[in-house]
Amino acid sequence: MKITVWGNELPAWTSAAALAESGNHIKIVTGLDHSGNKNEISFKTSNEPGLQQCIDQAILDGRLSSVTEEDGLSNSSHIISLNPDEYPLAEKIVCSLSKSLPNNLLIINQSNFGVGSTDKLQTYLKEANNQVIAYLPDMAAEGSALKDFKQPQTLIIGCRNEWAMLNIKALMRPFSQSLKQWMVMTSKEAEFTKFANTGMLALRLGYINELANLADQLDVDIEVIREGMITDPRIGHHYLHPGCGFGGLHFQQYIEGLSELMEENRNSKLLDTVLVENEKQKEQPFRKLWRYYQCDLKSRTISIWGLSFKPGTASIDNAPSLKIIETLLAQGCSVKVHDPEAGQNIEQYFGEHPKLEVYDCCYDAIENSHGLLLLTEWPEYWSPEYEEMLNRMHTPLIIDGRNIFDKEMLQSLGFTYYGVGR
Amino acid sequence: MSLKASQAWAHLQSHAYYMSQSHISDLFEGSQDRFSTFGFAQDALFLDLSKQRITDETLALLIQLANERNLTDWINDLYSGKHVNDSEDRPALHTALRTPRDHKLEVNGTEIIKEVHDNLDCMEAIVSKIHSGQWRGFTGHSINTVVNIGVGGSDLGPFMACKALSDFQPQEAANLKVHFVSSMDGSQLADLLSHLNPARTLFVISSKSFTTIDTLANANTAKEWLKQSSNVASEEVLISRHFIGVSASPEKAQEWGIPKSNQLAFWDWTGGRYSMWSTIGLPIALKLGMQGFKEVLDGAHAMDTHFKETPFEKNLPVLLAMTGIWNINFLNINAHAILPYDGRLSHIPAYLEQLEMESNGKSVTREGSNTDYSTCPILWGEVGTNAQHAFYQLLHQGTESVMCDFIVAAKRYHNTDNAELQHQHQLNLANCLAQSRILALGDSVIEGADDAPVYKRYKGNQPCTTILLDELTPTTFGQLIAMYEHKVFVQSVIWGINPFDQWGVELGKKVATSLLQALGPEAKEKQFDNSTQGLLQHITKRNA
Repeated sequence: MKITVWGNELPAWTSAAALAESGNHIKIVTGLDHSGNKNEISFKTSNEPGLQQCIDQAILDGRLSSVTEEDGLSNSSHIISLNPDEYPLAEKIVCSLSKSLPNNLLIINQSNFGVGSTDKLQTYLKEANNQVIAYLPDMAAEGSALKDFKQPQTLIIGCRNEWAMLNIKALMRPFSQSLKQWMVMTSKEAEFTKFANTGMLALRLGYINELANLADQLDVDIEVIREGMITDPRIGHHYLHPGCGFGGLHFQQYIEGLSELMEENRNSKLLDTVLVENEKQKEQPFRKLWRYYQCDLKSRTISIWGLSFKPGTASIDNAPSLKIIETLLAQGCSVKVHDPEAGQNIEQYFGEHPKLEVYDCCYDAIENSHGLLLLTEWPEYWSPEYEEMLNRMHTPLIIDGRNIFDKEMLQSLGFTYYGVGR
Repeated sequence: MSLKASQAWAHLQSHAYYMSQSHISDLFEGSQDRFSTFGFAQDALFLDLSKQRITDETLALLIQLANERNLTDWINDLYSGKHVNDSEDRPALHTALRTPRDHKLEVNGTEIIKEVHDNLDCMEAIVSKIHSGQWRGFTGHSINTVVNIGVGGSDLGPFMACKALSDFQPQEAANLKVHFVSSMDGSQLADLLSHLNPARTLFVISSKSFTTIDTLANANTAKEWLKQSSNVASEEVLISRHFIGVSASPEKAQEWGIPKSNQLAFWDWTGGRYSMWSTIGLPIALKLGMQGFKEVLDGAHAMDTHFKETPFEKNLPVLLAMTGIWNINFLNINAHAILPYDGRLSHIPAYLEQLEMESNGKSVTREGSNTDYSTCPILWGEVGTNAQHAFYQLLHQGTESVMCDFIVAAKRYHNTDNAELQHQHQLNLANCLAQSRILALGDSVIEGADDAPVYKRYKGNQPCTTILLDELTPTTFGQLIAMYEHKVFVQSVIWGINPFDQWGVELGKKVATSLLQALGPEAKEKQFDNSTQGLLQHITKRNA
């Protein structure tokens, strides 16, 4: 089949690469007018395991090419894979497609614009002429996106049009070998399902963080509790790592969307509470530092490792580092920071600040430091040179916002260590 | 010269004899446009005295009296920092508290206006730290609740202002709750503490002397509450993160445990009941933002300028005060009702009770002789529409003459599209106008009243003042309160008394100390009068 993919983020590239690999001819339109956050750097295909190789091969085989918007309109099958805040752009694309392909136009919406938005997009199309938009939720997790796409356990499809279903099933046939179930429902129901899943993940994170904070107060190690919890097959191990809050633009956007929906229609504060608590959780490492120094941080030098909202990205959208740096500066600290990718974004965000220094070397960032806060679990922080750290730091205090260090070992080396819930 | 010996006093007395024969409704019948004769404006504030039992002649005589009492000199003395508070030998410079930064006033070699603004800057730094979420409690969470602990002048003014102006809470203050606690018995505080989070609560301890037992008792309870909820932080740390002291006695505040860095100062020349314009106004600034607080100060300053520079014939505080003098001293009216027709002004009666009665509730002149004339009347009040269902019966048909102040805003809810609320405001305005009309004019306002049975008649003739604000804003609020302050000062000048001391509240504190001992285990036998002794025994038995 000849398909155009619209979008430039992980789901777009994953779909494009996987579909090209299975023999389709894919055009991808990436040069879209992005209205997103300027601090966010565009998605790096090289960050996703196996994705870059797959893309390179498809290009080499002539089955994947990056094209202009105009060129993209020519195919009769389309995948729209945009960010949640790009609904107006999707409307524009759908309108253009409707004009240039009056008959037999299949659009698969893979973007999370909210419950009911695919139906809204359908109003720009004529179903009688087989102009159909279906919703296929993006269920791929970062780090395993390609595998998730190619070997799904379940396929949820929001579509009630027979002609479109036939085409979608044909398109997805190479990936449905190990499929346990086709779940066909209305696009509204499928959108709701996607929302429900995201909300569930947020609730799990919120719950484990709440437990971790309780463990702190009761002097229990949350890691032991967590390991105990995951042995129960009803619970499993996903999204149960305590930490200093989740960030990122899209995850937060989905949950905010769902939270508003729940509050408006149900007067429910459930997800709002998760969001509010998550904001507090972002400052948790600061609070441990604050208590360690008896509520007075004036003139201390504090270091931060990890500024991006998660490893593998330079994005600082909703990252805990933003709140913590702001707070430390307000308390009169000198702040020294390091991140493999996000240093420049932080410099841009805070501008020239006499008490904020961004370092290229993580050990330079802890020189004479009264404490190190680890906020992002970049691989290179997992096993640092402890001797060097002890030599460089003024006070060997480590506050681990992601629980990546071995508490006992650090303590035996002479560090004072605080984790999340341990 | 004694007040009663002044020429104007004698003229006013004979004029009063003549006027006491006439009814307010007669005055309206005899004049085409009383409203324009007795209506006075200053910026967005309008004072209607047409429903007072006065004529042109009354006002002229009253102004003559003010002149004979050297009011102009007194106003100059007040503003320039002369020791108008003679019994405590100090100035009363609340007008300096709202004077703009670029003005100058030197008192005893100190540049007062600069000091005032230095203190406002300190306050601004605290407000900004709290509003930005960077004032942190002992756990490191930001403060989201402020509890003001104070009593009298350290409570009533800020409490009233926060209630009156809550519509003007800016975005940065939207998540901050401000509470007030004053009562000595701890009931307000206990209620409040049961649902507050200690980690996110900041206490502002406001006391001019920092020895006020009511305030310190509440402050100690708050401190213990914090200590119990934090088993890790030391008392010193808890106080540094959760207490701010506002006081004119920094040493006393420090003795209690509040470090200098957590203190805001004001001066002994700021009377407690005139102090909401100073750092005592911290809760107001926390509620309204510093910008809003400064608008309140600007409004008051505009009234200060008006009071100082406007001829008495058009001077709102002077006219308000002198009609009061007329009612009290010549028409023998000794009760004064404060009737705000605006729920936001619900605390203004309590505020004015202190301002007027603590200032002018005195019977000894500055020269040390007993007055042979009445001074401050009994003041009380309530939101008008609620009072209509309570004490208006007495106003309409009782035996007491009562002068009434109606306070109302012309505009409200005009920026909303809420038709129901707009209608409620119309209803409120209609009631305000109806009540002052009946109180002043009686049932002459309706046809056929004469035929009604006697218990359905309304005699009217209660003198009414209407204070009309264009709308209630920080600025008009500042104007309104400053107008009352100056009114009180003018009356004190007429009566020859010092409005800035309050010796009448001292003895009770001393006697309470000896009774506290008597309630304890070391009680002595038969120390007090028979009644007190009896009550003590009764209480002791019940607690045994």
